[in-house]
Amino acid sequence: MDVARLRESFAHVAVHGDELPLFFYSDLFLKHPEVRGMFPVSMAAQRGHLVDALVKIVSQVDSVDELTAFLQGLGRDHRKFGAVAEHYDAVGASLLTTLEHFSGPTWTPELAADWKAAYELIGSVMTAAASADEQLRPAWWRGTVVAHEPRSFDVSVLFVQPEPRMDYLPGQSVAIESSSRPRLWRYYSMANAPRQDGLLEFHIRLIDGGAVSMALTSSTVTGTELRLGPPVGVLTLSQPVSGRDLLLVAGSTGLAPLKAILDQVATLPQPPKVHLFFGARTIDGLYDLENLEKMAAQYSWLTITPAVSADPKFAGETGSLPDVVARHGDWSGHDAYLAGPTEMVRDAAARLASAGVAQDRIHIEDFGWSES
Amino acid sequence: MTTGWFDDKSRMTPAELQTVVFPTSRLGRRGYEEGPVREFLIAVHAEFVHLLNERTSLWQEVQRLRRRIIAGEGDGEPQAVLFGEADAHVHAVRILSTAQVTADQYVADAQDYSSRLTLEAKRRRDEIMQEAQRYSDMLLEDAHTKAREAAVSALNGAPAPQSDEKQQAAQAELAYLRTYSDVYRAHLRAYTEGILRGIEEWERKEAASLQEVAKAVPPGGPRAINGDASLHR
Repeated sequence: MDVARLRESFAHVAVHGDELPLFFYSDLFLKHPEVRGMFPVSMAAQRGHLVDALVKIVSQVDSVDELTAFLQGLGRDHRKFGAVAEHYDAVGASLLTTLEHFSGPTWTPELAADWKAAYELIGSVMTAAASADEQLRPAWWRGTVVAHEPRSFDVSVLFVQPEPRMDYLPGQSVAIESSSRPRLWRYYSMANAPRQDGLLEFHIRLIDGGAVSMALTSSTVTGTELRLGPPVGVLTLSQPVSGRDLLLVAGSTGLAPLKAILDQVATLPQPPKVHLFFGARTIDGLYDLENLEKMAAQYSWLTITPAVSADPKFAGETGSLPDVVARHGDWSGHDAYLAGPTEMVRDAAARLASAGVAQDRIHIEDFGWSES
Repeated sequence: MTTGWFDDKSRMTPAELQTVVFPTSRLGRRGYEEGPVREFLIAVHAEFVHLLNERTSLWQEVQRLRRRIIAGEGDGEPQAVLFGEADAHVHAVRILSTAQVTADQYVADAQDYSSRLTLEAKRRRDEIMQEAQRYSDMLLEDAHTKAREAAVSALNGAPAPQSDEKQQAAQAELAYLRTYSDVYRAHLRAYTEGILRGIEEWERKEAASLQEVAKAVPPGGPRAINGDASLHR
């Protein structure tokens, strides 16, 4: 396999932009109409995902470890969509047809063989990871919404009973699909550590025009069934416990994963001191403050600082969350966990880093949980 | 091919249009506004990609015609390759792609519309809340003033036994304020409940229509909308 040739070939076809994935999916659906049902009606986002994955694969093709980890994750992730081995062959065939179509006269038998070999390698890593995963857990969990609590104008808290029981690390997330918005999966973090009764708490913020969040914050969601993907994510308490105190910074529903971590800290024999900053635009947005204050009253190791950025009347801290956190002193001896809107998290992480918090002690997660 | 494909290093690529940076004029406002230049480049980039894709299509067409000529010279049966299976497939892919892009646009428009509705609802809600806040501040301020006056007059010694008349007036005022607050609360409650009922009704309708759609669409999902149905016509 000639890596340089593959890269050059990909650069050639990539200039065709969106036409490339458009051709690919049309070719796939014409040859295998049965797979169309596995995708949402609108394919716009899907096409972006395909190109992103291809770009990532092509750029990492010579750093095998990273690429393998990425592909294994991708393989496991595709189980919940119902992807099976035959689909991989179908996708490979359509990918080759697409590349050939856009390569024009630069398509040669050698290049075709290179792409075929590359795809077979990709497919085999993905399917191997998927079948290893089959031994460990279901492709997806059935989740019944047992309670829906509207907490503010645009935030609802959902309680979901998964079947079978789901084990996960506090701070992790699952992709959720609502039956009323088929084939649209969005990531949400569990807001509690695994409980005896297995119940999962989710904090859902209504995104303007967000199909999934709208379905999940509607009061008719109670009693409906959701599909939950496998728990994923790295925003988890480092093991073994570092012994350092914790700084938790939560913007809006970014509170969810950090609240799960609080649950976990409460079970530690010697809980570290924890300072949780909970920020929102308005007072109304501090949708879970009451519960947090109860926790703070119960646990001497926990300090809660609510902050509001766009309401000067608020009696507590006002200003942007990263500013408020910075005002509260020296965090260089802490482990920091940040969750919330991407921009807030990025700012806060940068501020902490420049204030002397080591990079490997700043824990963040980024998979667009705030998307829609 | 002698015309060269897209590998001629001296040719401009769409990527260059996306990354090009112009030095900003040091004399402040004498250069172009950056925004419109960016927008223009985005448009040029889209056009560029479009032309490239058009060229690919034309190239495919040339190949097809070439194959036809060669076949015609060969076994004298040009009809066999006039529009071969591969060409038909590419044609079908194009039709399906067009249908898909149309479907994507419908969904994007619907999402955009829903986004505008939520934004508008949020704005209205903020207005109502602010109005209510202002009003309650006003009432509170008014009550404070009255209480202060009462306290001051009480302090001013001589408990100046309020005349029956004054007391009655104060009580009437109090009764009025109470009634007013009750009425106001009732209004606010009715209004809020009205809105909530509207929302619930809306949700019920939505849920019902979704069920209808689910019944109407055969298992396997909303196949028709991706356009392959039209291909088999």
